[in-house]
Amino acid sequence: MRRIGVFVCHCGINIAQNVDVEALTKYASKLDSVVVSKSYKYMCSDVGATLIKDSIKKHELDGVVIACCSPRMHEHTFREVVSDGGVNQYRLEIANIREQCSWAHSDREKATKKAKFLVRSAVAKAKLLESLETSTLEVNHDALVIGAGIAGIQASLDLANDGFKVYLVEREPSIGGRMAQLDKTFPTLDCSSCILTPKMMEVANHPNVELLTYSEVTGIEGSIGNYTVKIKKKPRYVDVEKCTGCGDCATACRLKDRINSEFNMSRGKRGAAYMPFPQAVPLKYTIDAEHCLFLTRGKCGDKPACREACDQKAINFDQKEEIVELKVGAIVVTTGYDLLDPTSMYEYGYANSPDVITTLELERLISSSGPTLGEILRPSDQQKPKSITFILCVGSRDETECTWCCRIGCMSALKHVYLLREKLGDDVEINVCYTDVRSYGKGYEEFYRTVRGMKTNMFRGRPSEVQNMGDHQKIDIFDTTTNKLFEITTDMVVLVPALLPRADAGDFARLLHLTLSGDGFFLEAHPKLRPMDTFVNGIFIAGCCQGPKDIQDTVSQASGAASRVATILSKEELEIDPLIAAVDAEVCTGCGICVEVCPYEARVLNEKTKIAEVNDALCTGCGACIAACPSNASIHKNFTKKQLLDMVDDII
Amino acid sequence: MSITDLTSMGEPQVELKKEINDRLSKLQDEVSDYCYQCAKCTSGCEAHKLLELEPHKIVALLKQGLIDEMVNSDIIWTCMSCFKCRERCPQKIAPVEILFALKNLAVAGGKQVPGKYTSVLQSVLSIGLIQDAQSVTTKDMKTKTRDDLGLPPLSKPDDPAKFQAGLMKIAVEKV
Amino acid sequence: MKKKLALYTGCLMSTEQYGYELSVRESLPLLDVQLVDIAGFSCCGEPLKSVNQLLTLYLSARNLAIAEKHNLDVFAPCAMCHLALSECKQVLQNNPDMKTRINEMLAAEELTFEGNGEIVHTVDLLHDHIGIEEIAKHVKKPLKGLKFATHYGCHLIRPSEIGRPDDSEHPVKIEAIISVLGAETAKYPEKLDCCGGILQINLDESALTKSGQKLKAVQNQGFDGLVDVCPWCHKMFDARQVKAGETVAAKLNVPVFYLTQLLGLAFGVKKEKLGLDFNISPVDKLEIG
Repeated sequence: MRRIGVFVCHCGINIAQNVDVEALTKYASKLDSVVVSKSYKYMCSDVGATLIKDSIKKHELDGVVIACCSPRMHEHTFREVVSDGGVNQYRLEIANIREQCSWAHSDREKATKKAKFLVRSAVAKAKLLESLETSTLEVNHDALVIGAGIAGIQASLDLANDGFKVYLVEREPSIGGRMAQLDKTFPTLDCSSCILTPKMMEVANHPNVELLTYSEVTGIEGSIGNYTVKIKKKPRYVDVEKCTGCGDCATACRLKDRINSEFNMSRGKRGAAYMPFPQAVPLKYTIDAEHCLFLTRGKCGDKPACREACDQKAINFDQKEEIVELKVGAIVVTTGYDLLDPTSMYEYGYANSPDVITTLELERLISSSGPTLGEILRPSDQQKPKSITFILCVGSRDETECTWCCRIGCMSALKHVYLLREKLGDDVEINVCYTDVRSYGKGYEEFYRTVRGMKTNMFRGRPSEVQNMGDHQKIDIFDTTTNKLFEITTDMVVLVPALLPRADAGDFARLLHLTLSGDGFFLEAHPKLRPMDTFVNGIFIAGCCQGPKDIQDTVSQASGAASRVATILSKEELEIDPLIAAVDAEVCTGCGICVEVCPYEARVLNEKTKIAEVNDALCTGCGACIAACPSNASIHKNFTKKQLLDMVDDII
Repeated sequence: MSITDLTSMGEPQVELKKEINDRLSKLQDEVSDYCYQCAKCTSGCEAHKLLELEPHKIVALLKQGLIDEMVNSDIIWTCMSCFKCRERCPQKIAPVEILFALKNLAVAGGKQVPGKYTSVLQSVLSIGLIQDAQSVTTKDMKTKTRDDLGLPPLSKPDDPAKFQAGLMKIAVEKV
Repeated sequence: MKKKLALYTGCLMSTEQYGYELSVRESLPLLDVQLVDIAGFSCCGEPLKSVNQLLTLYLSARNLAIAEKHNLDVFAPCAMCHLALSECKQVLQNNPDMKTRINEMLAAEELTFEGNGEIVHTVDLLHDHIGIEEIAKHVKKPLKGLKFATHYGCHLIRPSEIGRPDDSEHPVKIEAIISVLGAETAKYPEKLDCCGGILQINLDESALTKSGQKLKAVQNQGFDGLVDVCPWCHKMFDARQVKAGETVAAKLNVPVFYLTQLLGLAFGVKKEKLGLDFNISPVDKLEIG
């Protein structure tokens, strides 16, 4: 018979206030096979750990049940304690009486009753738990970074400088992401390209980095330490080895200046043969298959103009999509964000007037490499505006659009005020309609003060609508600081829209088996303690794909994620959790169903013995084969049918 | 412990606030507590420019429980019920519906009902409609009735006594 | 396919806004809509929402229950009625306690509200149920060379949480209908502004100011006329236009039509039959019909 010890944690008062821990301890002591039952205020503390270890020795325990918080929180801690005490770490069972009892229920009596059930059930399982040993697997030392904005670039550089080989995948023709679109950055007003371009060059030239631009991840297999990733390389129809980036193809393109430039937020035009921006990396041209006359209609004049113009003979319309397979040990996802299309808030006139624009469009207008070469011109008539009005929180903090704060809107608007004042002088009227200015970062509040001193008309309130009066826009705004309604007539309106998850974040999450939080951004494993981890071991997230944040936070998080990856890649071997599938060779009929259902290719049928086997390195313990096995030959170690049914039996 | 509005010496009417919030929930409207005073409602209020209605202030006063102040004021009767405040509120609060609640409270509390509301109510009570069929004068000064125009008889409650009995019961009840 | 609907006239249309009722009764049957008159209806209750909203819910439920008794969907050409009935249906469907309470009261008149019926207004009936293509087939005298401003009416498009016949911020269905009748429309900044109509009950001067401001804007922007679909709005813009002009110190001269009047005119119906005699605003100056 097993000798089991039960240890009940008070968790301060987290558990104790809603569960009668003393009654629970006493109850546990009377259960079959339980030889000792104790409670303590903080079982995860040193004193608690010693209590468990001493009890193991004193009572010669060979199984342990700890009634405490979620195993997600402290299972790891307690496995070490039990192991130190001399019991196999897999002979520990946790009864979660915090999240499932004290936090979930307010009726103390009922919560205590439920806790007793959970402990009894845990003891039932502990009686059957087997000793298991961890095995190891070799680690692939290469990393994959998905998305080459500032987050992806930073993570790649950190890893590459640590000596790891990094594959950096970007779906656009150039790396650089959103930061490349910005003119200056708050609050220090560094020129965005001045600080970004060197990093783009560094990552492109780094011997340890392999750039895969105009490429997308289409499939992933394996698990931590050994991922196999499929990448689709879209055809550029330009031989990058030959292309010198001279631009003759773009000049010759029959669609020159006819297609909206994505990089310029449709405020500028490009051709079908194009480079998104002058500092693009790689400095190569791309032919846009969606618009190119030759590719869409099979005909472009007599001969494709770009091909004729290219001295290097770099244009190649025969290029095909290519699939490459990469093997990596860990992955960082840095896929960035989208902006809310303010058309959905029709009252703000974005769809109703060319003179209502978004902050990112203004960035392109301010930028010296933008469509107006940095001149601020009103889109409708290309005249210098005499008055510009900002509306903050467009779709942010909004139950009908995006419930969250975009975290960069206030500061980006203040930055624009500064830059516009600098460019246009004191004659231009600048109005800001804000709800609450959130200037929480280092140097942000000081920057806000500076802008307040720059003849800015601040209105504390939110307009209800923007009326297009033809040659100007009219806004009624109730200012809650003066308790007055103001009518603003203005030349241009700049909307500061909400930050959204990428439109395809859901599809991408499914592809990588990641989880989304309620807002649609990728979910971190723990909001405070594991902010870069995901629930998939070996896959990390950084930057705005995890949630809105500024460049400072993005870069910090990217370096953090790189460091988390390095921890894995620097190991020669990884311990594998033995809580995975196994096969009862006596029972297996070799039907092969398990091989078919396994999503990780961890199940193989041994041709000689006709018995299905488990590849421990690939098995994640997902349980698909166990559910599918018609003869009960597939088992999940320490989650066997007998163990689980006994747990249930003891409750009912 | 207490909270006092020193301009009126009024105190928060916690019970009444709860009653209004309960009513709003029953009618599937958001309660006032979520308002963060962006004043988008007042910026677009059709009644603000003419009659100084400030929907965001109505919500704020309700949040603080200063309800009598509003019930006793004529301002609640200036709403044009254009529903722009409700439509555009980022927190899904409906100042227009709060105003309906306050006006209902004023009526139930025996306050003077302004304008023609009393006669409209009386007309609905007696014939089921806000007014009886009118003879209407055309542009060339001919007076026409429904009959003259070949329109079918007016549809109204067939048994006025039964209809009135039902209404009288409700008139004293609340949502 | 013939569509059979209970015509719920509401108070204002059936007691004085005969132009709307006549044009509805003349033009819709041409589109294969059969309007059924039912006795026993009452006010929808919307004008009394400020007095006691329970009364509004009761009155609306009562009217819906009467239509249900005849197994008919309801056609409410008045935007106020349409909102009251739609809101009542939504509130009672989502709140079973309230539904029971109202039904207990309705029992006195041997009525029960179930909430199975549909409620349509002129705009969605024409645009969504009948359809633009079908309307086009009946146009005999296109309204060429005219440019109209449209007025939807607040109750028709808001609150969108209670399903409304068109979008709250960017309604376009009346424009689509007018366009198929051969006339033009154009955007104007004041398009969504309120007529002020409800304030006629207690603050008439302000009601007139609201209407006057909107009409003035329409007049100044060179429209040939204003088109509306609600008897409350129409009364303000049409019958009370001169007074409205006085409150905003403007001489107003804007022809105001019900959409169904334009529909009838384009279908070749004689203007007397469409009640255009009752339009006090200068509709004759457009020389249509």
